Amino acid sequence: MDADSEVALDILITNVVCVFRTRCHLNLRKIALEGANVIYKRDVGKVLMKLRKPRITATIWSSGKVICTGATSEEEAKLGARRLARSLQKLGFQVIFTDFKVVNVLAVCNMPFEIRLPEFTKSNRPHASYEPELHPAVCYRMKALRATLQIFSTGSVTVTG
Amino acid sequence: MPGGRVCAACGCSEIEVDAARGDAVCTGCGSVLEDNIIVSEVQFVENSGGGSSAVGQFVSLDGAGKTPTLGGGFHANLGKESRAQTLQNGKRQIHHLGNQLQLNQHCLDTAFNFFKMAVSKHLTRGRKMTHVIAACLYLVCRTEGTPHMLLDLSDLLQVNVYVLGKTFLLLARELCINAPAIDPCLYIPRFAHMLEFGDKNHEVSMTALRLLQRMKRDWMHTGRRPSGLCGAALLVAARMHDFRRTVKEVIRVVKVCESTLRKRLTEFEDTPTSQLTIDEFMKIDLEEECDPPSFTAGQKKLKIQQLQKALSKKLEDFEGEISSYQDEIEIELENSRPKAKGVFANFTKDDSIEDSTSSILGDEEAEDEELEAAANHLNKDFYNELHEKDRGKKNEDGECKNGNEAFVRPPALESLLGPLPTAASLGITESIKECISTKDQEPGESTGDGELDLSGIDDSEIDRYILNETEAQIKAELWMKENADYLKEQKEKEARIAKEKELGIYKEHKPKKSAKKREPIQASTAGEAIEKMLEQKKISSKINYNVLRDLNSKGSNTPKKEDDSTDDSTNTKKLSRRKSIASRNIANPVNSVGKRLRPLISTQLAKKAATEEVPFPNAQAEAPDSEKTAAVLVESGPVAYNADEEVEEEEIEEDDDHCMSALQLMGGNGKLGCCLNY
Repeated sequence: MDADSEVALDILITNVVCVFRTRCHLNLRKIALEGANVIYKRDVGKVLMKLRKPRITATIWSSGKVICTGATSEEEAKLGARRLARSLQKLGFQVIFTDFKVVNVLAVCNMPFEIRLPEFTKSNRPHASYEPELHPAVCYRMKALRATLQIFSTGSVTVTG
Repeated sequence: MPGGRVCAACGCSEIEVDAARGDAVCTGCGSVLEDNIIVSEVQFVENSGGGSSAVGQFVSLDGAGKTPTLGGGFHANLGKESRAQTLQNGKRQIHHLGNQLQLNQHCLDTAFNFFKMAVSKHLTRGRKMTHVIAACLYLVCRTEGTPHMLLDLSDLLQVNVYVLGKTFLLLARELCINAPAIDPCLYIPRFAHMLEFGDKNHEVSMTALRLLQRMKRDWMHTGRRPSGLCGAALLVAARMHDFRRTVKEVIRVVKVCESTLRKRLTEFEDTPTSQLTIDEFMKIDLEEECDPPSFTAGQKKLKIQQLQKALSKKLEDFEGEISSYQDEIEIELENSRPKAKGVFANFTKDDSIEDSTSSILGDEEAEDEELEAAANHLNKDFYNELHEKDRGKKNEDGECKNGNEAFVRPPALESLLGPLPTAASLGITESIKECISTKDQEPGESTGDGELDLSGIDDSEIDRYILNETEAQIKAELWMKENADYLKEQKEKEARIAKEKELGIYKEHKPKKSAKKREPIQASTAGEAIEKMLEQKKISSKINYNVLRDLNSKGSNTPKKEDDSTDDSTNTKKLSRRKSIASRNIANPVNSVGKRLRPLISTQLAKKAATEEVPFPNAQAEAPDSEKTAAVLVESGPVAYNADEEVEEEEIEEDDDHCMSALQLMGGNGKLGCCLNY
């Protein structure tokens, strides 16, 4: 495995999911009416607000909990979350930005070689699980890092967790 | 034989053990101490036919102790522990499913063992029992290597495959059972049989197997559904042996989509093996191996990207020449098409803004300069194209840009610059439309870049997010229209609830609320008890409770004596009497009781009659006068009783001379009964 010296494996972070609380009750109807970039899902009870600058989509509940997805880096996620809080403030709610936490980071990486999945699964028994009927990738779980890797036969690997 | 035991209820030591029934009963109080006693002696009992049979009961292998009594049916809640119940239930379901899948007994037993393990690890909690059982069965199929697919199980249960798969994976992980990977070769005999090849079944199967092995070597099988591969192999094998099997037939058997099958076939076509003839294929085995198809597709993509990069570089090289030519052309066009001035105005505006943005772009890193230049010349190129082609589109763009901000969707700077190399091919028109339409937003976007402080957040941009009143109204209307169905449903629901509230029957329907246990009615008088019971049971909302109360208060003298004996059974007996009035069973006890208890019976009957009559007049509002008189009779309590008593006594006395026939007695009751029978 001299991949390190020859080929620099570029790993791209494609998605960062974070949550934060506003510590105040939000009136979803008001947000839905006055926000230009919102989708109101009344049947589930949440509002989707999309921001352009850090390209994020936020799900806002009336309890004040907000989940932010789509950012490409952790800093961006924080920036986007704060922007969101600011826009909510402008709408008139007493927003306090608390409990910011990054929940999930998704990254994609490409191997320059293809991978034989059945043999791979056999040699990594407890961690790897492969079910060709359900999903074409091997699901490798690392409990230590709390990460899940999806390994495809083309060599692309998706890391989540 | 006395067991030397003492009864737990009464403390008497006289216990009778009946070997035939296997019971131990206390003779003092009658409580059953033991059920299904296991004895080691053999006893015989004589049948009615003269033969003799051994005494005893069958005890099941698993399931502790209590078994359903012979001929007593299935007692589900005989007080077994929950665990035993779960296991028994699971076993039953496993057998049921397994028989549908034609699994042999050994497999079913193994599946049951898995299930027991799962239950002991509390994996059944929070999951549907059916899912867990299906997962156990599939696990067995995997370990045994039977040609059963997860799809089959999901077909039987009508459950989503992925849900089942999730449960199965979890089970396999928790039980640390390594299910061997599925080999498509296992499915071939099964599918071949279903495709009905007749005599040549075996040959076709062998050919298909060889094809599959070839596919494996050619890396077609990783990450693919084994059933899809099987389908393709069988199709080809069938054609090779002159069997005509259409794609549709194969699909029905194999359960994959048509496009999947076609794709597999095309992939196979790409391999060198497909070039061989049938005979060659049977004999020769090509040595070289192919790359997996997705890998080759990836390689193709890379090549295309490289080509595009080269193209864009070449474009940049010639940029200088082109821009000068384009300037000349533009000038000429301006002169030749005066009408387009209005549109031009927009674009000259765009030009100025574009220049400003290009200057902003220029402020950034050196890398962007190339791309900026490319953007510039590409934009000019585009203007020319637009001028020559579509003026209508340009108008739209202008309007789009100047119109509602709500509809604008500008990409970030990175995505603007990103796809430019590929803009050389097809994407050019779209990406540049976006450029034009986003010119407004760019000044705003460039600020607030990368700063982490709260101050870095651009308020002006956020302000733009907030709509003004008219816009808010429009949006509200739009939303209402879109979600009309849901709103309708909500309104209907509310209306329904309001109606129910009016009627007073409004129940709050909470999901999954367990049935309430009825508390025993505690009432001081029979009247109260009746009221409460009626309220609970809700037999009729039309009972006039006031009348009932009056009845009981006036008739309280006689009923009190009976209260002791009939206290606990007022409710039930009343009900049973109510029910049995139709069948007129009351005549029988009346018969058997005899004259001595006549007053008792008569009062009871009267009471019963009274209560029956009470709902009766209420139930039929348009009752004729006779019934009204009956009601009147009832309401004036003692008179009614006396009258009834007298009437009955007279009748009974009359009948004294002849033998009391049931019919005549019934006739006596029948009068009342007839009235009430409507």
